[in-house]
Amino acid sequence: MTDHLSSLTLNALADGELSADQLGIAKEHLDTCPSCTSNALAQALLKTATARLGQRYELPAQVQRRVERLVTQRASNIDEPINGDRIPPSRSRKWIAFSGWATAAALLVILCNGVFVQRRTHQSEVASVSHSALITEICDQHIATLAANLPPQVLSSDRHTVKPWFQGKIPFSFNLPENLPADTKLDGANLTYLHNHPVAQLLYSIGRHHVSIFVQEKTGIDDSSPLMAEHSGFQLAGFRTADLEVIAVSDVDSTRLSELVGTIERTQSNIHRQP
Amino acid sequence: MTLLPWKRKVRESSTQTTSFEDLAMPLLPSLYNLASWLTRNPTDAEDLLQETFLKALRGFSSFEQGSNFKAWIFRILRNTYLTSRSGLAALRTIALDDELDEYGDSEPRQYPEGVIDRQTPEMNLIRLSDRVALERALQKLPASLLEVILLCDMEELKYKEIATILDIPIGTVMSRIARARAFLRRELQSGTTLAREERA
Repeated sequence: MTDHLSSLTLNALADGELSADQLGIAKEHLDTCPSCTSNALAQALLKTATARLGQRYELPAQVQRRVERLVTQRASNIDEPINGDRIPPSRSRKWIAFSGWATAAALLVILCNGVFVQRRTHQSEVASVSHSALITEICDQHIATLAANLPPQVLSSDRHTVKPWFQGKIPFSFNLPENLPADTKLDGANLTYLHNHPVAQLLYSIGRHHVSIFVQEKTGIDDSSPLMAEHSGFQLAGFRTADLEVIAVSDVDSTRLSELVGTIERTQSNIHRQP
Repeated sequence: MTLLPWKRKVRESSTQTTSFEDLAMPLLPSLYNLASWLTRNPTDAEDLLQETFLKALRGFSSFEQGSNFKAWIFRILRNTYLTSRSGLAALRTIALDDELDEYGDSEPRQYPEGVIDRQTPEMNLIRLSDRVALERALQKLPASLLEVILLCDMEELKYKEIATILDIPIGTVMSRIARARAFLRRELQSGTTLAREERA
């Protein structure tokens, strides 16, 4: 046989992906071809070396703990108390019950304090992780919109065109301001998704700076994290109403961004859920 | 044996909740490692990992029990990475990467593989034992080739599983693996040549 084994075959051989027939043919060739044998050996060694070297980044303990807590917290939200699986109380004796209750009451007070503090810490940590993930996703969406360089799904500077466009697309409503700050204009809007929930992405320009304003329904998580922040060089500003969470992101300076966000906040007086 | 309704409910609920932990937590180090390789930044890797877990937790009810969980969660990580800043930047390099041929070259090869890429086993061993050079070569790999080689060599996933995670045909997986290894070997070879020239 004069034809050497192709690189695809040599790789499949190293990866154990050849069928029995292909393996037989390859072995037959390798028995007579030192060059391919050398190459097959090199591929196998490279695979081993890459596998060894690939395990390079060790998971930091605090990251592991954070993810474990996140998983536990989320899993416990799925669990529901089940009626009927209580162990029946044993035969009561008054004196045991009295001393038992007294001790239990004292312990309960101590435990409640501990549990309350721990629970608040857990909840705030989960809220903080969720909020941080939301901010990252918002920045990614804004960057993706800029990178795509596509016209908005609804292309209009008229608020009476943009707002009705969302009817039936999102399960909530919002108001848009008539008068905008100087050098600011509405470019349009997109329907997008954050954490798998439909969200209105309003697109504004302040001078030559593009602004994305994400309007979403408030989540069930009790999140009181501040909405003013900076993430990877982008400015973020926002506000919350009883039903909505609004977050704006742009590379414009924070004062001008806050001015636009403040204008939008003042118009949110008659928001309501769509049926 | 017939279970009472409440007992059945307890069993279903606990299976669902313990399953995610049982399935996902052992993969945490691997997911973090891949996230670190892809993002090349510890903070971004943590963000990517947390976002992956949040998405996986949310979508776990739709995960088909008994199917490949590892492929499922790695796919979530990979898709989350693609919508991140570093992922978007890596996406822009794919067009250039697609111009590479099977051997990882952007120019047509003038000689058949057997003529120029035949080294002695001793030479191969010397090159492959150079850990620093291999690490440098891995870091130079374009993202689309790096992810495929890490899934194949480090995670020991089958071509079919990699195709599912990356949402590409198996043929593309095979050609990307071939290109990635050709790239690594070429980098190691040029590193050895340079070192030899420096010594001379």
